[in-house]
Amino acid sequence: MATTKAILVDITKCIGCGSCEQACKQIHGFPMETEVKLSATALTVIEQHGDRFVRRMCMHCEDPACASACLVGALKKTSFGPVTYDAAKCIGCRYCLVACPFGVPRYEWSKLAPLVKKCDMCAARQAKGQPPACVEACPVQASIVGDRDEILEEAQRRILGDSKYVKHIYGSDEVGGTSVFFISDVPFEKLGFATVSKQPMPILTANALGDGPTVILVGGALLSGLYWITQRRALVALAEAREKSIRERN
Amino acid sequence: MTTLGKTVAAFPRISLWRTIVTLIFAAGIYSMYARFALGFNVATNLTDPQPWGLWVGLGTLCGVGLSAGGFAIAASVYLLGLERYRPILRTSVLISFLGYCTVCVGMMYELGLPWRIWHPIVMWNRHSVLFEVSWCVMLYTTVLALEFSPALLERLPWVRLRETYLRWHHSILIALVLAGTLLSSMHQSFLGGLYLITKGRLYPLWYSPYLTTMFYLSAIPAGLAVTIIAIYLCVRSLNAQVDMSILSDVSRVIAPLLAMYGIFRIVDLINRDALQYLLLWREETGLFWLEIALLVVAPLILLNIEKVRNNPMYLYWTSAVIVAGFMTNRLNVSITSLQASSAMYYVPKWTEFAATLATIVAAVVAFRYAVIYLDILPKNEPRQRWVVPSVPSEA
Repeated sequence: MATTKAILVDITKCIGCGSCEQACKQIHGFPMETEVKLSATALTVIEQHGDRFVRRMCMHCEDPACASACLVGALKKTSFGPVTYDAAKCIGCRYCLVACPFGVPRYEWSKLAPLVKKCDMCAARQAKGQPPACVEACPVQASIVGDRDEILEEAQRRILGDSKYVKHIYGSDEVGGTSVFFISDVPFEKLGFATVSKQPMPILTANALGDGPTVILVGGALLSGLYWITQRRALVALAEAREKSIRERN
Repeated sequence: MTTLGKTVAAFPRISLWRTIVTLIFAAGIYSMYARFALGFNVATNLTDPQPWGLWVGLGTLCGVGLSAGGFAIAASVYLLGLERYRPILRTSVLISFLGYCTVCVGMMYELGLPWRIWHPIVMWNRHSVLFEVSWCVMLYTTVLALEFSPALLERLPWVRLRETYLRWHHSILIALVLAGTLLSSMHQSFLGGLYLITKGRLYPLWYSPYLTTMFYLSAIPAGLAVTIIAIYLCVRSLNAQVDMSILSDVSRVIAPLLAMYGIFRIVDLINRDALQYLLLWREETGLFWLEIALLVVAPLILLNIEKVRNNPMYLYWTSAVIVAGFMTNRLNVSITSLQASSAMYYVPKWTEFAATLATIVAAVVAFRYAVIYLDILPKNEPRQRWVVPSVPSEA
């Protein structure tokens, strides 16, 4: 995990021009109409909250709930940051939509072979050393990309260097940390950001799953023991009945 | 061969029930067309904030939970030696088997890409609760098919094959029941575990780190209630001969299980400091109380009355209340408790109801014919040939 990529969105800089939305649609071949909410054809959108513009997209969690939920492992956290989706594996159960704490993944409800749609941080482009399309398109550098450590340092520098910023980097510790960070001069809860726990979501299910082997071992031993007792009692009852009948015959 | 049906009419009479069943099937066929030829958008009201709806809540969660009677009765008879329940063993295994079949059929509707339903067999993610559930359901459906198979295979006309199969079946039966009990215990609870990851979004009256235990504790009495309902209907309308006092005994097991579940729910609410939600003026509060009233309070009061415990018809209606309460609980967890956080008011489309209903009705019809044509329940002289004695027979 030497160079994990991350995106920083500086809400104070965003002018709401929608270049990122357009670039994203273009690179995915989606119809170009502007959409107000994330959808299967809009993997990033600009939401307006008061006079601030907030870009919504997949947070690319460090320990993603969707990847832990996906029963066939179609969703994966790659070693360089993006959470990617392997459409060839997906069976369409939509547990990822249920699991995502940010409500990001979208489903192609109108298609007969529907797939899950979500931002993959342009993993293919990044593998070739290119920045994500949305970041490249931003005319005012409200979104920047870089190595996660450096991006976090940069965010830190900005919020400490200017008193207008809220002293928190959204994504630094949310659900155990993400690969998309937001900094803002307006409190995050006023901008529609989800209030989530600091704990990685997969821990919640890992604890329960960890009980599985115990249930098998203890339960198996218990049930086998009970069966042995049942068997034994039946044998004893049978032997007693036989002895009794022999005694009666004599 | 004794069959329970006295006469099989050459032409089906047009009766009220047959008309209803036909209408449900017709609606079901349209729903099937809507789902597979027109897509989710036409067949369902599912949306991104509400990705799981009635098919998961009713079809899967209720379907699996209400099929818990099979493993409970099988474990009681074979592992605990409670021979008392042997007469209703085959019925409860059949109910479970058909129940799991409806769940598997429901899966085909539910999955966006149902032709890839086999993917979990080769593509593993052991961190996924759903992966564990899918494997358990897959294996347990196989176990149920094997547990039930003698009822079909004993009708084979080829003596050698039949006897060989039944002997083989006898030799693996205890292992099957043991595996079935463990698999059931695992996935009944993991169905609740699916919702552990929705922390912060599931309404606090339902979100608990012990969702797994709660799902398990509630599934057993609900599954037994379904067994009571089915046996009662078999006796009433299919002329089956069952010692009805067995049903009273089953109800004596249900009552403490429900009480235990109720206490567990209360202790859990206290533990999580969630008592203040009990009296908030909200839709969730009403649904919670409805669920507790139907699943815990009403049945416990009813089962405390001796006249109810000893009357099959009263037991039947009490069981119906338990099943209704159980379904309320599962639909609350899977649908209503998520509505506030998703800011989405989901009302299932009629085709969602029709698809699930048609699948359930198909299972009921299959159950009916199985009871009529196979040796599921004894008629006058119970035939014990298929029964594998727990006592070795060499003596």
